[in-house]
Amino acid sequence: MKTRLLSIISLLIAVSSVSLGAETATVITKENAIRESCRFFSPVRATVHYGDALEIVSQEGDWFRVDFRGVQGCIHKSAIEKKSFSLSNLVGSNKQSTSGQEVALAGKGFNPQVESAYRSQNPQLNFREVNALENYRVPESKLREFIKIGGLNLP
Amino acid sequence: MNRTLFLGLILVSFALGCSQVNMGSIGQMAQETFSAARPLSDEEEYYVGRAVAARILSTYPLLENRRLTEYVNFVGKTVALHSDRPVTYGGYHFAILNSNEINAFSCPGGTIFITKGMIHAVRNEDELAAVLTHEVAHINHRDGVSAIQKARLTQVATLIGSQAAQRYTPAQLSQLVGVFEGSVDDVFKTIVVNGYGRSQEYHADESALSFLWRAGYNPSALKDFLERLLSQGQSSGGGIMKTHPATADRIERIKREMPSVNVDAFAFQIRARRFQEALR
Repeated sequence: MKTRLLSIISLLIAVSSVSLGAETATVITKENAIRESCRFFSPVRATVHYGDALEIVSQEGDWFRVDFRGVQGCIHKSAIEKKSFSLSNLVGSNKQSTSGQEVALAGKGFNPQVESAYRSQNPQLNFREVNALENYRVPESKLREFIKIGGLNLP
Repeated sequence: MNRTLFLGLILVSFALGCSQVNMGSIGQMAQETFSAARPLSDEEEYYVGRAVAARILSTYPLLENRRLTEYVNFVGKTVALHSDRPVTYGGYHFAILNSNEINAFSCPGGTIFITKGMIHAVRNEDELAAVLTHEVAHINHRDGVSAIQKARLTQVATLIGSQAAQRYTPAQLSQLVGVFEGSVDDVFKTIVVNGYGRSQEYHADESALSFLWRAGYNPSALKDFLERLLSQGQSSGGGIMKTHPATADRIERIKREMPSVNVDAFAFQIRARRFQEALR
């Protein structure tokens, strides 16, 4: 009897802890940085891309400390969607969290295939310059200097 | 005694387990409510924004001035980093339209256009930051995609609902392109022709004051700029005034929401000087 009760307790505790742990996140921006400290302009430890899976270690304000293929660092909350592993998933609930929906929507709806077809139908639209302005980059070091010289606040 | 203790432990474990499920469900309900108000993913918003930008660039030519473009990007990216949504799918990009019209447009996802006329209408870097921050606020609030008719989004949901593959059949693609085109039209008409609703504009002003303050710019710059437009009689007619609510109303609301700040006069002068240098 005692052994059976202990087994039940162990099972319940194990199931409960599953709902707390195993938190992962997916990158939802085209490209982003895993930074050494939880602030913008901190040195970049790794570059991540859309759809990359990250292990969440902890949260620090608007930032998450994450592990990406063995590299630990920080990423801003708006660059990821959390994907919690919860009991409701285990018991077969078919409802999805926002992150689940975001991940499920990945590559669906309005995507490169749709844009490509739209562009062929509208050749007068200036996508060439849109690409050019998207590819125009301001170096982080220069932006940081601009902020400091102007007596502004670093984010 | 031991059995009672074990049973107690079981009950506590169950209670803990159940409370986690309940908390999860509450969180999930809140997330779903939020999701209903945000029907497009960040990635889809980006593609709509690109097409809107392409349409704007088919109407207005870009100003080819590398130094001024870099400067506008410095100011814009600074305030964007201090906004509530500092990171978007494709990032923030700022470009200057070669037009004397006094105007600025924010495309969904993060591309912001400001006209040459607007850059000449502002007097210093803080006023330029105020105009750009107002546009960043529209992107933060996803005001662009909110202009898309709900029926179109329902149609997208229906079309992709059971679609597991990420490539569409020609028939599905044709339908999706039609919905995409309609969505781009909705956004373009709103931001370029009709303007956002009054409440969206007031909300953007309100957020702009907060983002400017966080960045270290003087939030009063937004009020100063609008007051000057009003006094110069530019508060009616074309450009930004055609698509924005009455300037006097905006100024009154901005005054009420204005955070109290101590302006560093020395830093303000440094910024004003570099603004003049960028214009040369």
